[in-house]
Amino acid sequence: MTKTLERAAGIQPGTGARSKRRKNSLTRQRERIGMLASLPALIFVMALMFFPIGFATWLSFEKTNGVYYHFIGIKNYTSIFSSPLVHQVFRTNLKFLIAIPIVITLGSLTSVLLYQEIYGWRFYRLVFFLPSVLSASVTGIIFRTAFTYDGPVNSALKLFGFQPINFLVHANSAIFVISLALVWAGFGYAMLILLSGLTAIDTDIFLAAQVDGAGWWRQFQYIVIPSIRNQLVFVTTINIMYTFTSLFGFIFVMTAGGPLFSTTTVDYLVFQKAFSSQDMGEGSALAILVFGIIALLTLTQAKYLRTDAQD
Amino acid sequence: MQKLTWQMQLLISMVLGSVAISTLWPLFYVLVTSSRTLNDYLNNLYGIPREFTLSNFKILWDNYSLGLAARNTIEVVGISMICCLSLSSLAAFGLAKYPYRGSKYVNWAFIAVMLLPSTVLIIPIYLVLSKLQLVGHLPGLMIVYIATNIPFSVFFLRAAFKAVPDSILEAARIDGAGFFRAFRSIAMPSVLASFTTLAVLQFLGMWNELLYAYLILPDQSTRLLTPALANIGGRYTSNPPLVAAALVITATPTLVLLAFSSKYLVRGVTSGIGSS
Repeated sequence: MTKTLERAAGIQPGTGARSKRRKNSLTRQRERIGMLASLPALIFVMALMFFPIGFATWLSFEKTNGVYYHFIGIKNYTSIFSSPLVHQVFRTNLKFLIAIPIVITLGSLTSVLLYQEIYGWRFYRLVFFLPSVLSASVTGIIFRTAFTYDGPVNSALKLFGFQPINFLVHANSAIFVISLALVWAGFGYAMLILLSGLTAIDTDIFLAAQVDGAGWWRQFQYIVIPSIRNQLVFVTTINIMYTFTSLFGFIFVMTAGGPLFSTTTVDYLVFQKAFSSQDMGEGSALAILVFGIIALLTLTQAKYLRTDAQD
Repeated sequence: MQKLTWQMQLLISMVLGSVAISTLWPLFYVLVTSSRTLNDYLNNLYGIPREFTLSNFKILWDNYSLGLAARNTIEVVGISMICCLSLSSLAAFGLAKYPYRGSKYVNWAFIAVMLLPSTVLIIPIYLVLSKLQLVGHLPGLMIVYIATNIPFSVFFLRAAFKAVPDSILEAARIDGAGFFRAFRSIAMPSVLASFTTLAVLQFLGMWNELLYAYLILPDQSTRLLTPALANIGGRYTSNPPLVAAALVITATPTLVLLAFSSKYLVRGVTSGIGSS
């Protein structure tokens, strides 16, 4: 990233070696224009993203209901770390990770088949991506309706002689249904990302492998997977982040966090603390914790991405 | 890659076909259900509908003010998109072609908050907006949408503007074109495809957003579509055709957009990561 920027700066007339002495007025004018052009966007982001992060950090050391503020040090953090509810909520989040291997497996298999231009591949590409453009509340309501006690899924179960299951009132079956919705809504996105990696592979390598007698499965294992490593890392981290930060819409319309907090995730708990209850200090401490997890994931991803393939 | 045998092809087509059906069937079922009366639906849940009616849509429009919600949504999404796209293109063009001391850090600032989840922001943003008396007013939500969409937009457009050759811009400058002239007549037309892609992505993101919309506009009179849908879906579980109609109203614009812009969407989705 730095290199590109410096290179870009080097192209500009008037900078480079000459700028070391004294910038001519034209260059200075161009710099002023660049600054003015990016200022409005920067102000928005400073005011509504950077300032809130700082504000949230400060709030996390306060006891507050939004009107009165009272400094209590790290008490919010100690109380969330020792709270059984927070532990349970994080365990719930971990359970939702089950959707990720399914998304990755489905995504990589379908993307390879599309890459091979299997019959009807354009149709599949559009159809599999279709759920990705739907709102989480739309997907959530569709799945909730499908899995209610007298819904279509239970009718199908009864047809095959099984007992109907009350999916959404038991914690684990509710998590199963929500994960299914996540897979349904998410694997098309993974598929497209992986497909973009596949199209970059040099096709000669497959010819070479065929000469050496490698079959379809071996080519998939030893050529395809290593070649789309970057995309796999990206899709995995994005999905983990998603699990910790963006389940709100699904939970909100499908179970509202219940029964008894058993499907409440971290982002849903932050929402509840912000809105329903008056515990904004503890909510902020939780939000900062989520922020830390996301930062850690982003840095890990950057470490595992092969930089030579970038930019 | 090695071609698959025709037996394999057939097997795979059957598997992919059933996955495609599992994707399309729920949507089709929702569409059909939305135009049935409750009685007809209850008599024969999965059968072929006997009567066709638009009364569900009319009920939603008249009694649950979904028309108002749709208008609010269009207003918020429209104004936010116009503001966000103009601010982002200006900033991206400036950062790409008019670098200044510290522009590197400005660029990093945008990248740093690109993936910031709304979970981190909801409490402080809610407090700030309520202090400014903007909770419950459409502009409150607009400024949140504008700000949270800027980082990715700048990142995305900056890459597009960088690909515009300097020689063309230099030639325009010699011909006397200033910043805005160069921006409007040369830079924007050459990044039009990327710009369209970004606009589509922004529309989808804002139209489908639920958390901020629910938090910042809680009143019936200013409610947007997604919170209204969540509300109807939670309250009228015993009237599936009504809920289905609400689903259709919310989902149709995004599906129509996908139908017309899948080319741009595919590009947009796959461009975020450094692969080429």
